[in-house]
Amino acid sequence: MIHLPITNASERTFKADPDNAPVTDLREELFQLEREGELEVIRVPDNHVELMTKYGRMKKIPIDKTWHHKSCGQCGHIPGYSTSIFWLNRQFGLDYYDPTDQTSCTSWNYYASATSNPEAQAAVAVRNFAAAAEVGYFPLIHCGTSFGHYKEVRHALVHQHDLRRKVKKIMERLGKKLVIPEEIVHYSEWVLAMKDRIAERQVIDMSNITATVHPACHYHKLIEEDAIYDSEIYGAQRTAIVTGTLQALGINVGDYSSWYDCCGFGFRHILVSRDFSRSFSVQRKIEVMKEEVNPDVTVTHDTGCVTTLDQSQFAARAHDRNVGIPVMADSQMAALAMGAHPYKVLQLHWHNTDNKPFLRKLGFDVEKVWAEFQEEVDKIKSGEKEFMTWEDADKNLKK
Amino acid sequence: MANENILIIGGGPTGLEAARGIAELGYQVILAEKRDKMGGTPVSAGYAALTPDMRDAGEAMQEMVGAVENNPDIKIMLNTEITGSAGETGNFKISAKSNGNDMEFDAGAVIIATGFSHFDPGRETQKYGYYEHDDVITIVDAEKLLKAGNFVRPSTGEKPNRVAFIQCVGSRDRQIGNEYCSKVCCGITSKQAIEVRELLPGCKVFIFYIDMRMYGYWENEIYWPAQEKHKVNYIKGMATEIIKKGDGLLVKGEDTTMRRPMEIPMDMVILAVGMEPSEGTKQVADIFGVTKNKFGFIETIGGALNTVSTNVEGVFAAGACTGPSDLEDCISAAGAAAMKSISAIRKSAVTA
Repeated sequence: MIHLPITNASERTFKADPDNAPVTDLREELFQLEREGELEVIRVPDNHVELMTKYGRMKKIPIDKTWHHKSCGQCGHIPGYSTSIFWLNRQFGLDYYDPTDQTSCTSWNYYASATSNPEAQAAVAVRNFAAAAEVGYFPLIHCGTSFGHYKEVRHALVHQHDLRRKVKKIMERLGKKLVIPEEIVHYSEWVLAMKDRIAERQVIDMSNITATVHPACHYHKLIEEDAIYDSEIYGAQRTAIVTGTLQALGINVGDYSSWYDCCGFGFRHILVSRDFSRSFSVQRKIEVMKEEVNPDVTVTHDTGCVTTLDQSQFAARAHDRNVGIPVMADSQMAALAMGAHPYKVLQLHWHNTDNKPFLRKLGFDVEKVWAEFQEEVDKIKSGEKEFMTWEDADKNLKK
Repeated sequence: MANENILIIGGGPTGLEAARGIAELGYQVILAEKRDKMGGTPVSAGYAALTPDMRDAGEAMQEMVGAVENNPDIKIMLNTEITGSAGETGNFKISAKSNGNDMEFDAGAVIIATGFSHFDPGRETQKYGYYEHDDVITIVDAEKLLKAGNFVRPSTGEKPNRVAFIQCVGSRDRQIGNEYCSKVCCGITSKQAIEVRELLPGCKVFIFYIDMRMYGYWENEIYWPAQEKHKVNYIKGMATEIIKKGDGLLVKGEDTTMRRPMEIPMDMVILAVGMEPSEGTKQVADIFGVTKNKFGFIETIGGALNTVSTNVEGVFAAGACTGPSDLEDCISAAGAAAMKSISAIRKSAVTA
């Protein structure tokens, strides 16, 4: 034991002070604009919990009455990601809405410098918000890109009268109102808010698992005051998102030196400079994790991050690089912990990097669970059924 | 009849010097200090040596305290916080809580000398890891280690081989709203760098800076000796992040002279935290209705020619409660506030 006249890091407690925040509370301005008749605010439903944000303000996270703004990339490349979110909602018997009239946020093109203008961007966002408000639900954003973009759009709409006027006009032509949510909420915040309830129903022991976490840039670097922090996690010096969830599941979260770096996706880079994206992902993220932590899995919370970290490893593997870390979303980890089927619900067969050793370490008989999935697929192939149902998914539910 | 007591709030260097001066001029002082001992931040934070003359800080503060203790013209009230004020110059009615008891007394004039707080590096938007890594400390912590003569890595207890100082943590930073230079950190850092090199001759010491701001004679007294005699390395560049790497730390940032990113391994990192108004300063300013500037420091209204008068007649402010100040500034302002407060009482007596 070293006795020094100073405290060590574990004894230092950072207390964020909202009165000293370097930015104003956008919600106050939002409500003021509502009082002035400029817009309508979609209130967070009564059933919500409050989590602390970067500068100490509390953010309301809805538990139910959520309108699920899905992700193009998730649905297209890793569908088990969003299926896991819905599966969790159903397990808790929560009232949620899976809309069929939601559009893409179009922000990937925007961030890739490819298209659009502020009015169009904001109008797309508000049209989706309005669709949620019309059915009486609150938007829950699955995609990190959409989440970051909607936060920027909300910021712009609050501060630019001219933009509000133009968007209002577009909305009028669509027969919709200019509505803005009280909070922009990412699904991973919902998972974090639910972590203790998830842990209470955990059936898979994960205490032998070591994970690394990649926080999505669009989550904690854009409108950074809106991201969730916790004085118990990283001393409130980094976002608590994902890490808080994994720790609640008993997982050991290992730290690595390039945690702050982008996953490699980079929006524009993945489109126009894909080799750079792949190399960055492997060399700055995966290999660093391997060298410093050698985790069983790396967990993140955004479409682009999961796909880039996962799908960049195959080429590196061909070159005998030090890779081979399965990549999953926090929703998949939470669902798996509660007994969700690795293939019917998590749909891990869509993931590129070999995740079988990880599943085996958790005690799964991989061949058996694959056969269970294959049995359902065969029924669809034979025409016995058109698609798999929730009941099919839960037929082999671990309890 | 004007009351000839002058209330001084704060028993740090500024308050002590103002009290000494006022008593010497034959007026009565009530010195209210919220802590249980006097000496202010140099004592409470355990400063080792003063900048730039390297004098033992404890010894210097004891000398200042000795000059007011047992002085029949100075009533010292420890554990005392001011809770209210009414009246005007020559006749302020002061409310206070002293050792848990409510009390009231009169004063003819008031000097606020409530000092500053060290910036909390947890608020820094750059990733300096103060709350994550034992071996990331502040210059306040470093003073304590140096004072103890035991400058070691907190994580291991071993002597460090490579130490980095990072300047302007919480100062000159628009992102967090502190758009001011804290004035003393460059000097203190250079002084500490010299002390580390003297204590551990084998240890390499680096200072990462935006600009080194060496006021007056500090240039010759500490800046050049640090480089020429003690071989301290000054690197112009911004550190953006400090992370754990193996058993040590890795400082990431940009070397702006070489125009390239840098990643440099270190054993210890010392954050040169700047000054912010103390909570006491903000509270007392509100009690007396004194205007604060946008940073929360007390605003003086006389420009360069009057550095202690506030918008409230008969209430003066001196030292680091008015903005970043070094010890010389504080002592000079204390003298000015002593003179102005006596002058205010005398004028009030003439017009009464």
